[in-house]
Amino acid sequence: MTTAIVATGLTKDFEKGRRTLWQRLRREPDRRESFRAVDGIDLNVESGEVFGILGPNGAGKTTTMRMLSTLLEPSAGSATVLGYDLVSQARDIRRRLGAVLSGERSLYWKLTARENLEYFAALYHVPPREAASRIDRILEVVHLEDRADDYVEKFSTGMRQRLVLARALLPEPSLLLLDEPTVGLDPQAARDLRERVLQLRDEGRTVLLTTHYMEEADQLCDRIAIVDHGRIVALDTPDGLKRGLKATEVVRLEVTAPESADAALVGHVQRAGEVTQRSREDGSLHLTVHCGSARDLVPLVIEAARDESAEVRNIQVLPISLEDVFISLTGRALRE
Amino acid sequence: MDRPMDEIRNEWRAARAIARKELLVFRRYRLNAVNQVLQPLYQTLIPGVLLGATFAVGGEALGLAETAGTTDLTGYLFLGMLALNLGSAGFWAVAYSLKMELDAGTLEPGWLTPTRRETFVIGMTLAGLVFALLATAILLAIGTWFFGAQLAPRLVVAIPALAVASIGVLGIGYLIGAIVLRMREGNFFVDATDFIFVALSGAAFPIVVLPEAVRWISYLLPTTYALDLMRVAALDTRPLLAVPLEWVAMALTSVALVAVGRAAWLSTEHRMRMLGTIGQH
Amino acid sequence: MSLADLRGDVRAFGAATIKEWRILRRYKGSLLSFVFWPIALPLAYVFQAHAFSGGRADTAAAFAARTGTNEVAGFLFVGWATYMWLSIILWGPGTSLRTEQVRGSLEAIFLTPASRLVVLFGPAISQLVWAIWIFAVVGVALWLGFGVSIGPLEAARALGVILVGIPALYAIGALFAAVVLRFGEVSALVQGVRGLFTAVCGMSFPIVVLPDLAQRVALSLPPTYLIADLRAVLLTGAGIGQVAGDLLILAAMGGLLAVLAAYAFRRTEQYARRGGRLAQY
Ligand SMILES: Nc1ncnc2c1ncn2[C@@H]1O[C@H](COP(=O)(O)OP(=O)(O)OP(=O)(O)O)[C@@H](O)[C@H]1O
Ligand SMILES: [Mg+2]
Repeated sequence: MTTAIVATGLTKDFEKGRRTLWQRLRREPDRRESFRAVDGIDLNVESGEVFGILGPNGAGKTTTMRMLSTLLEPSAGSATVLGYDLVSQARDIRRRLGAVLSGERSLYWKLTARENLEYFAALYHVPPREAASRIDRILEVVHLEDRADDYVEKFSTGMRQRLVLARALLPEPSLLLLDEPTVGLDPQAARDLRERVLQLRDEGRTVLLTTHYMEEADQLCDRIAIVDHGRIVALDTPDGLKRGLKATEVVRLEVTAPESADAALVGHVQRAGEVTQRSREDGSLHLTVHCGSARDLVPLVIEAARDESAEVRNIQVLPISLEDVFISLTGRALRE
Repeated sequence: MDRPMDEIRNEWRAARAIARKELLVFRRYRLNAVNQVLQPLYQTLIPGVLLGATFAVGGEALGLAETAGTTDLTGYLFLGMLALNLGSAGFWAVAYSLKMELDAGTLEPGWLTPTRRETFVIGMTLAGLVFALLATAILLAIGTWFFGAQLAPRLVVAIPALAVASIGVLGIGYLIGAIVLRMREGNFFVDATDFIFVALSGAAFPIVVLPEAVRWISYLLPTTYALDLMRVAALDTRPLLAVPLEWVAMALTSVALVAVGRAAWLSTEHRMRMLGTIGQH
Repeated sequence: MSLADLRGDVRAFGAATIKEWRILRRYKGSLLSFVFWPIALPLAYVFQAHAFSGGRADTAAAFAARTGTNEVAGFLFVGWATYMWLSIILWGPGTSLRTEQVRGSLEAIFLTPASRLVVLFGPAISQLVWAIWIFAVVGVALWLGFGVSIGPLEAARALGVILVGIPALYAIGALFAAVVLRFGEVSALVQGVRGLFTAVCGMSFPIVVLPDLAQRVALSLPPTYLIADLRAVLLTGAGIGQVAGDLLILAAMGGLLAVLAAYAFRRTEQYARRGGRLAQY
């Protein structure tokens, strides 16, 4: 099998509000509005890759993950996960799937790490003869072997997050779904977790993850789907996405000029690049420009400023990043 | 695909793990556990016995002899308390465990495993029954020490009666589980139905004193029969129906309760899958 | 303490009361529960009383002789109404402080210059609302269900008794609150104490049926007086003068317990300041 997930037209509608008992008894027509959280997603996640879903708040990332993990039934569309149908063979999927969906809170704080894993091992139908040794091995993988018999309430956030990952590894899954695995972790713990994800891929597992962090996606993912309003707006490798912008550099400009000169200035700049963001703060014009080469753009800017008797206060040149791809595709910053 | 035998074995092991986990967590709150055992003693038995003393004539419960056919008021209420313990197991075990899991966000990772979701109800009910059994043993020990030993040997009939009624308790577990998943703040509802259920089973008084219409509800509860059979055996009280008929009624109502409860649970489970409201508390 | 401080504290006290009121208003959802329990709980005991009297004249006479009234329903409803009010008071301050503690808003309050006593006793006034609510529900239930009507004069006397009782009961609640902050969960302790109250203070019986020793314990607990006096003014037409002695004892107990609560609270706070935090959670 070479494809871990195949989804076609995956859609989820949520109903807003609820029908009261009274309305139901009276058989009143259902006037609830329905809201489309995921709007026809097509995905092919290959075995052995780390696949990222990137999107702003409310884009439908979590909803997609919850559908793929069989917690939620799609309203339309279909999918096979590890070769099993999402709806009719849900339990077969759950037998082979590891998922981290709800963060570090979702453990029994009054039990020890080992007791937590023993409990979930039974739920994952791990054969009792194997359970103890598997738990030991997994505890080692997440570096919790010396804290195994401490109560989870005494753990730090990072340790709990690792234990949650350990739990997801219990069925020895060939596919892992991780919903924002590093959210709320300190930089050290987050780096640790990212390394672990790469290690899991090297062991031959497939990882599907969502994230808010551009660098994380850039660094971890073999391919990325950018979603917005429940749709995939772009899907490629990180480099491919960046190349898609037809620009290699981003120039941020700050120019002091009367407001009347803005249009003329932008007009000049447009000749060597594409203005993606434009704002006025404290009497200055701020521009973000995507361009093929800053060497062509910068002299042009300085010349234009002189013509309009404006003053260039600051120039910043950066290589193009996923963030820029994101902004140009969705018109929004990732975190607002 | 698992073979059917493996499937059952796996689910049974999961149910036991759930029950074990419940009891483990519960044990970590030691004082609460002690209290849970003793509460029926001072919350229902003592006020009842003392109310009985208020009506006593020459130290005899002559009134109870009219309505139930025994003057052993303490024994009568004591058995009621034991049955109450068992009936409540279905209520609080499932209700409070599920509520706690929802609040803590631990239900969702459980539902991500191949274990059937109804196995959680079974496991939680199992924990409730184990705990009720333990509590019963402790209370029985206190009871024999306090009231003398004549009660205990005659209670052998209680074992099969309670075994049959336990099936009914599982039905309650299903029902209550469905309610807790549907109503976020189901606390009042669960407590209130628990109270009504126990009262209508006749834990505190013979159901003959209830108005006719209400008494029909009592006849639909398996615990009514389980309790009555225990009292007939231990105290020679007047049975509600002929004894063999009571056994049949108990079996039928138990099975009916499971059927209704399970249907409610499965429909709730499906609804959750459509709405996706698990874990969003 | 300067006059400005005092004025500030009085204002803070007002703010605490208002906050509590707002929280009360939010209880709207569980309003049903505050109608259900004051009726359902005593009703179960009324049925039990029926069973124990068995419709016989001699048992009814025994009840009247021991309680001084024929109103079985009135006797039980008043007793359990007091019990319910007591439960709210016992849980109230502790739970509300604990919630604030878990939410972290308690620390925010401790950062203000307001006196700690304000935090502790601020919500006391709102307890009156509960009392009035519960007794009103009980009054209506007695009137509609059992034809027992309570006149305005009796109601006014009962209100007087309740007002005298508030400090004592609330101080017990405050004492618990201090313990809650120090040790985290004490629900078992609260339930135990409530159990003691149910066992001896006479919610369902007159304390004359208790053994000697238990009677003495009962007489050292404030709820005993409250229940007896409420029954006297509501059911037997006693005037305030006839219960004045009891009320004096109740008031004295209230003062004593309030001082004790304040002291316990101060100790808890000191402990928190030294140890860097309040109870573990
Ligand atoms: N159970 C539900 N019922 C109704 N609406 C829901 C439900 N779950 C999610 N939504 C809505 O669906 C939309 C998508 O939510 P989702 O959680 O999938 O977004 P997300 O991309 O994960 O966002 P975030 O980055 O904030 O995690 C949101 O508008 C959300 O309000
Ligand atoms: Mg999300």
